[in-house]
Amino acid sequence: MEYIIEMLDITKEFPGIIANDNITLQIKTGEIHALLGENGAGKSTLMSVLFGLYQPEKGVIKVKGKEVKVNSPLDANDLGIGMVHQHFKLVHNFTVLQNIVLGMETVKHGLIEMKEARKKVMTLSEKYNLFVDPDALISDITVGMQQRVEILKMLYRDNEILIFDEPTAVLTPQEIDELMNIMRNLTKEGKSIIFITHKLNEIKAVADRCSVLRRGKYIGTVEVSDTDKEMMSEMMVGRKVNLKIDKKEVKPGEVVLEVKELSVKAKKEGHTKNIVNHVSFQVRKGEVVCIAGIDGNGQSELVQAITGISGMDLGKILLNGEDITKKSIRYKNTHGMSHIPEDRHKHGLVLDYTLGENLVLQQYFTPDFQSRGFLKFNKIDEYAKHLIEKYDIRSGQGSITSARSMSGGNQQKAIIAREIDKNPDVLIAVQPTRGLDVGAIEFIHKQIMEQRDNGKAVLLISLELDEVMNLSDRILVIYEGEIVADLDPKKITIKELGLYMAGSKKEEVKHHE
Amino acid sequence: MKKKLLSLVLAGCMIASLTACTSSNKTGESTSDSTTTETTDTKDAAADTATDKTAQGETSAEGYEIALITDIGTIDDKSFNQGAWEGVTQYAKENNKTYKYYQPAEKTTDAYAETIELAIEGGAGIIVCPGYLFEEAVFNEQDKNPDVKFILLDGEPHNADYSEYKTSENTMAILFQEDEPGFLAGYAAVKEGYTKLGFMGGMAVPAVKKYGYGFVQGAEYAANEMGLSSVEITYNYTGGFEATPEVQALAAAWYGAGTEVIFGCGGGVGNSVMAAAEANSKAVIGVDVDQSPESDTVITSAMKKLSVSVYDGIKSIYDNAFQGGKTTTFSAANNGIGLPMETSKFTTFTTADYDAIFAKLAAGEIEIKNDTTESDAKTAINALGLKIVKVDVVE
Amino acid sequence: MNEAKHKNMVGLLSSIFAIVVGLLFGFIVLLASNPTQAVPGFFTILTGSFTHGLKGIGQVFYYATPIILTGLSVGFAFKTGLFNIGTPGQFIVGAFAAIVVGIRGDFLGSAQWVVAVLASIAAGALWGLVPGVLNAYFNVNVVIACIMMNYIGMYLINFIVKGSKTLFDSLRNQSLSVDKAAEIPKMGLNLLFPESSINGGFFIAILAVVLIHFILNKTAFGFELKAAGFNRDASKYAGMNEKRNIILSMAIAGALAGLAGGLLYLAGSGKHIEIVDVLASEGFTGISVALLGLSSPLGILLAGLFIAYITAGGFYLQLFEFSTEIIDIIVAVIIYFSAFALIIKTFIERFDKKRNGGK
Repeated sequence: MEYIIEMLDITKEFPGIIANDNITLQIKTGEIHALLGENGAGKSTLMSVLFGLYQPEKGVIKVKGKEVKVNSPLDANDLGIGMVHQHFKLVHNFTVLQNIVLGMETVKHGLIEMKEARKKVMTLSEKYNLFVDPDALISDITVGMQQRVEILKMLYRDNEILIFDEPTAVLTPQEIDELMNIMRNLTKEGKSIIFITHKLNEIKAVADRCSVLRRGKYIGTVEVSDTDKEMMSEMMVGRKVNLKIDKKEVKPGEVVLEVKELSVKAKKEGHTKNIVNHVSFQVRKGEVVCIAGIDGNGQSELVQAITGISGMDLGKILLNGEDITKKSIRYKNTHGMSHIPEDRHKHGLVLDYTLGENLVLQQYFTPDFQSRGFLKFNKIDEYAKHLIEKYDIRSGQGSITSARSMSGGNQQKAIIAREIDKNPDVLIAVQPTRGLDVGAIEFIHKQIMEQRDNGKAVLLISLELDEVMNLSDRILVIYEGEIVADLDPKKITIKELGLYMAGSKKEEVKHHE
Repeated sequence: MKKKLLSLVLAGCMIASLTACTSSNKTGESTSDSTTTETTDTKDAAADTATDKTAQGETSAEGYEIALITDIGTIDDKSFNQGAWEGVTQYAKENNKTYKYYQPAEKTTDAYAETIELAIEGGAGIIVCPGYLFEEAVFNEQDKNPDVKFILLDGEPHNADYSEYKTSENTMAILFQEDEPGFLAGYAAVKEGYTKLGFMGGMAVPAVKKYGYGFVQGAEYAANEMGLSSVEITYNYTGGFEATPEVQALAAAWYGAGTEVIFGCGGGVGNSVMAAAEANSKAVIGVDVDQSPESDTVITSAMKKLSVSVYDGIKSIYDNAFQGGKTTTFSAANNGIGLPMETSKFTTFTTADYDAIFAKLAAGEIEIKNDTTESDAKTAINALGLKIVKVDVVE
Repeated sequence: MNEAKHKNMVGLLSSIFAIVVGLLFGFIVLLASNPTQAVPGFFTILTGSFTHGLKGIGQVFYYATPIILTGLSVGFAFKTGLFNIGTPGQFIVGAFAAIVVGIRGDFLGSAQWVVAVLASIAAGALWGLVPGVLNAYFNVNVVIACIMMNYIGMYLINFIVKGSKTLFDSLRNQSLSVDKAAEIPKMGLNLLFPESSINGGFFIAILAVVLIHFILNKTAFGFELKAAGFNRDASKYAGMNEKRNIILSMAIAGALAGLAGGLLYLAGSGKHIEIVDVLASEGFTGISVALLGLSSPLGILLAGLFIAYITAGGFYLQLFEFSTEIIDIIVAVIIYFSAFALIIKTFIERFDKKRNGGK
């Protein structure tokens, strides 16, 4: 079989690290080739080399057997290489069609000619089952739709080789299924796909072959049908990974966090429905309560109301029996509430601060780190080193590394270290493993379970059904701002849970026990 | 590393070349009307006098003998800077002297002094300081530089807290008798046939008051001559020297109420009055310098002949007749004030009329009351003893 | 190399590069306007202050004093995520407070100048506080609030000065001179730099630079402010009092600009508040200074000195055949391009990133 792309013996060095060490990647025409590796394994660097963003020190790239030089993304485009980035690069106040043609407009008499473009887009979308409304604004369509637009963009440019960079991270389970179908359709039509991911289920579901990278080194390529998940994860992490969580029996203790009749009104004009509607629940010592639901059903607003980041309109929040509804964020922070935020870049970290500074982001004012207004930098450093060691946070220069330069997994580890080391009574974790690799997920799951086993209360908000099922002691399903079910994970299946989440099944509304 | 540096340099050059065109255009524009011509003039003059100067051996070939320091305004401010500069250029061109103006870095006494020193460093033997803002700087510099001659317009050297006045031998202080041009303006207006006049002064400072008192007395004098029974003058100090909508509205109201001509006395006030006059097709009398280029509504201007005084001052230095150490007052007697009859738009008031009244003023035959000590405008006007002219003081 | 050090190096490099580009371009303008004198003229810009001995250097320090402080004001606010474009207003309000004490406070005796300086700080702080409060509690855009406060300040001061018999010199259409005791003592600088206008205000400015440096980099308060500057959401998440920080930050920035005004009008160089409808240029120059100094206090100190130095050099350029307008353009061009330091820094960082992969 002929290779459409060959990257042979690619070496790319950055001062201090070898990001790609003699890596070889060969893609066959018409296959879905998964590129598997932990964060920082060198996947992004390798793809950047292919895309012309970096020049390798060593190695050659061949397209259809011919050696080529890729100096810029434009070259890559000319060679038929296209990429769907993890964070979409779309203009939000443009229509779908405008976004697809952007940069490739046909100009007639100085005016943009859209008729043919529209025809081409419509043909493409029918051919590949990528249904979109060409006149909808990007800002009005769902994330899944936006991804289709990105795919159409590549197809519109007649790209033969499509790179998908962590495409499922932002999708719901249903959308993921659809994407898998789309990918299969694309290969049927002769396109070749490089699928960057660390989710083994997805590789199993859709990929033909899989190449694994670890710490900049090429580990090997396997036929997916011949291997199992355990083996792939071992290749990726370099050791046996325990994906199963052994849950100790812990008897829930007294109530730590209690939410009563919490409501958040819609902020947008014209919307009358509450975003969060009369939600009540309790979290006890030694239990993990999970709020499951499809993204956008009010989870974020609920958590932000509890933690105080944004307001609430009705209801009460009790922490250890004390009414903290009107207390400041700092009060909550220092009185037993820890919060692993949904968006680690927006809320969790000050990216321009060092790792050390981020680790004391909520404690810099305590006498441990401050006296008479002055920060004790040596104490901060000491504490940071302690956390770095304890939680295995990897960074280039230890506590003085700028948070921005750290990998996503280590950024998340830093946040978790900070939040857990505060020794909270209740840990609120919102999508704590979003976008992370197996190794990091394993670590974070372990930390969360440790909290529970130590008799802390954990409130988990997650979109990953595996995570929900594995970790929680109790599942609250949220749908359109309301808790529609209170389930025991041992007694239901993922399928059932999915039905509750989609709103097609409802438990007898039992407001509070 | 090499590559990075190269790209940086390239980027820098790109920015530079991109902006180069726009900015050099700007340069061309801003200099085309006033400055370039002057600099070339200067050059010509310098070339002409090259031999002259080496003979005199006073200044280096690079230097400028006559210097003018601008106050914070520009050289073409249509006021003191410009008027004095005209005197400097006129004399320098006629006599092949080098000349240049300098601009202080900021509006402080120290900066004025610093600029004076810079001018001296630049070879200046004569320094013209247009305006009272230079009083302290000249006070400080005159004794430090005894070989340099100072001409100070419209002020007398004194120290910061006014406790000591001193005009050294190398300094000529020039004051103007403002009541006289005011008188001429008032006289001419009534002679021209106007019976409803207005006076709009800026702030009630002595110079403005003098203009005003002269103006009403000039009107009285003309009315008396012509045997008129009544002349009305609306009289007001706006309280500022800026052009403001309020002043313009007030002037428009006056015009609307029948006032035929307004003496706009004080910086921007005049511009506001002109704007109102243009809208109402009425007349304006300008102040300090010939303001006829500013608006067609300006029928005449009560002038201090700044250029004449500067010219005379410079000339006296070269003629070894320098009146240093004292204050020279320019009035009708030494042709230091007047109306610009060439640009005036009079129909009945003739140059002969003007010459006659001017001669009387110059000869001291007319007594103008100009005591500015009274602060209340009404009381002060009453004290002038007007019989025909009725002054309505608007507070 | 240590990352923080590397960052500083990049910053310094970009500022120097910006200056070089600015100078280069200034030279082009010189060449365009008068080719024969361009070289000696350019040399004068570069060395002007030094050729005039200690006095020249003293003048540079004098001119640098207010713009270092307004630069510090802009830079400090910028570090905390706010764009303080209200420096002209804060500057003039500070100047006003200083001259009020300077004219009327004779009963204060030898402490008069100290009180006058403190008054300028307080007034500037108040003027910065208002946009801060409006932003924190009513979500009014800081830039717009600041611009409004600029005009309110300017017109209000004009109105008060003009209307006050005890403050106004109607002969000169400006404020009266302050009492001798209200002038900032020379603190021996007049001996070091004879005949120049320099005074103890320069020391005060240096002190302010050091103080702000400490606040930003060593204190818990500065930690909070910078966190808010880098990432407002994260600072809120971490429990920092967002509203209080915005208000305090603006008040401090205002205090610095007010101090700039106070020091300049108490300098004893004969500066008076003029009744003109023009915003104080020292305020806007502060923006250039902050940009060139990349908002770091020490950088701002150097940037302020540099811009004062170039301005002084431009003044001496009058000895050549350049009209004052051209000189103004040249100086403006140099400052203008120097303010591109930030852009150049991004350039360098991008190249850096391309080389290092940002890891």
